Amino acid sequence: MEYIVHILIMICIYGILALSLNLLVGYSGLLSLSHAAFYAIGAYTTTLFMMNAEFNFFTALIYGIIVTAISAIFIAYPSLRLKGDYFILTSLGFQLIIFNILYNWVGLTKGPYGIPGIPKPRLFGIEFYSNYLYLLLSIFFFSMVFIFLRLLYNSPFGRALKALREDEIAAGALGKEVPKLKIWAFIIASAIAAIAGALYASYITYIDPTSFTLDESIFIVSILLIGGSGNIKGPLVGTVFMIILPELLRFIGLPNTIAPNVRQMIYGLLLIILMRYRPQGLAGEYRFE
Amino acid sequence: MTILELNNITKTFGGIRAVDSITIGFKKSKITGLIGPNGAGKTTLFNLINGFFKPDFGIIRYKNIRIDSKPPWKIAKLGIGRLFQDVRVFGKLTVLENVLLANINEMGESPFTLLLNLKEVKRQEKENIEKAKHWINFVGLSNKENSPAESLSFGQQKLLAIARLLAGNYEVLLLDEPTAGVNPALIKSILKIFLKMIEYGKTIIFIEHNMNVILEIADWVYFLDEGKVTAFGSPSDVLENPEVRKTYLGL
Repeated sequence: MEYIVHILIMICIYGILALSLNLLVGYSGLLSLSHAAFYAIGAYTTTLFMMNAEFNFFTALIYGIIVTAISAIFIAYPSLRLKGDYFILTSLGFQLIIFNILYNWVGLTKGPYGIPGIPKPRLFGIEFYSNYLYLLLSIFFFSMVFIFLRLLYNSPFGRALKALREDEIAAGALGKEVPKLKIWAFIIASAIAAIAGALYASYITYIDPTSFTLDESIFIVSILLIGGSGNIKGPLVGTVFMIILPELLRFIGLPNTIAPNVRQMIYGLLLIILMRYRPQGLAGEYRFE
Repeated sequence: MTILELNNITKTFGGIRAVDSITIGFKKSKITGLIGPNGAGKTTLFNLINGFFKPDFGIIRYKNIRIDSKPPWKIAKLGIGRLFQDVRVFGKLTVLENVLLANINEMGESPFTLLLNLKEVKRQEKENIEKAKHWINFVGLSNKENSPAESLSFGQQKLLAIARLLAGNYEVLLLDEPTAGVNPALIKSILKIFLKMIEYGKTIIFIEHNMNVILEIADWVYFLDEGKVTAFGSPSDVLENPEVRKTYLGL
């Protein structure tokens, strides 16, 4: 049972990441490879505020969200002028910079040693220590993010983002303030990734930079490529699929030594098949071009 | 009354003068045609008015406000709308969504107002949907309301782009070859729409290669060649001009 609870918590965390990245990839048409960087900034900032300033999880989370949102502006600026491949490379650069800061700023982040003993959230005297309680907390955050993003996706804001995804020039000619819309999309997507980061850090109680590598960013993007983007279903289908798939593969009895490699191969094969036969993903609306 | 004024506008691309010292005053509530061979600078002129290009020299004034250094979205908000030659509808979005995007001051486009004033945003959205449906009906696309724009034929996409333009409630409409690629019956209804717009007090500036259309609806015509205005006047005068007949009409 503990095992299933763990999987469900991970689905909530990655669901939050995928839904937020969807605002950039599926709605704004910006394939960002830096989502793990914002996930990391959220995780580290919340952790540091909890451990160094002894803030409560929820207060620290607010600081985490603010710091992540501010850092999002740094990547939002270059994106105002860049699209397509150029933007992908810029986001890649940002991801590498953040990873290297986390890895090398030992004084603050303890670098490769990581930060152990991260406290669990506490609210009205209840400590979310058991995984069952933590699952409830994760479901709460996931639901809030889901409701908030569904509102945004279906609002005139979401529609305007889709317009600039389809044709930035035509959107501009219709009076859409393209730069402002993009900056907002970045700030919101990153701030929400910070929530996932905080949840992850406090759940695992240990973070180090290897949880937030480029591979992690690619994994979040592949959730959207496999599940689909541009609507609310795609990221959810993708998250459930990508989190449960490796667990299912455990049961087919592959020797432990080759299981991870086979898993990677299956991911790769799936991506190839989907891109060929269903480029919008399992349940998505938007086909990234 | 002059509503839009170009004063000595020049734009060069790598040494080629696409637009060369053009001075034109566009009259309010009139239909002005721009004609000329391919590469004469007509679309570049639209891109300059629209804010997609900044002029190298010269001043553009709309209702006495300088707009030559403003970004496209600001110019659109001031009241200048554009119909693109290649329609530029949002393919994956439905016909209704395309027209809804024409609303210039939509409150729900800012996440802040969206969250702080959700009730008002929803009320405005409801109102906008009604208006959008009116324009979709106006161009005869009611049965396609929920189809993605990319599923429409080129002629229908043009009608959609026109509906989107009309829903924007602009005062000046820049139309880049509005009748190109459209069947003759549809051309008639499109021209009717334009004449109606003039009754509503709109100003139309259009680029056209179909001389029948020019003769039928234009009040005034400018002939552009190699980035310069080389003839202007009433449509029949310009089309009688020997140089226009020779270089453009091939007569």
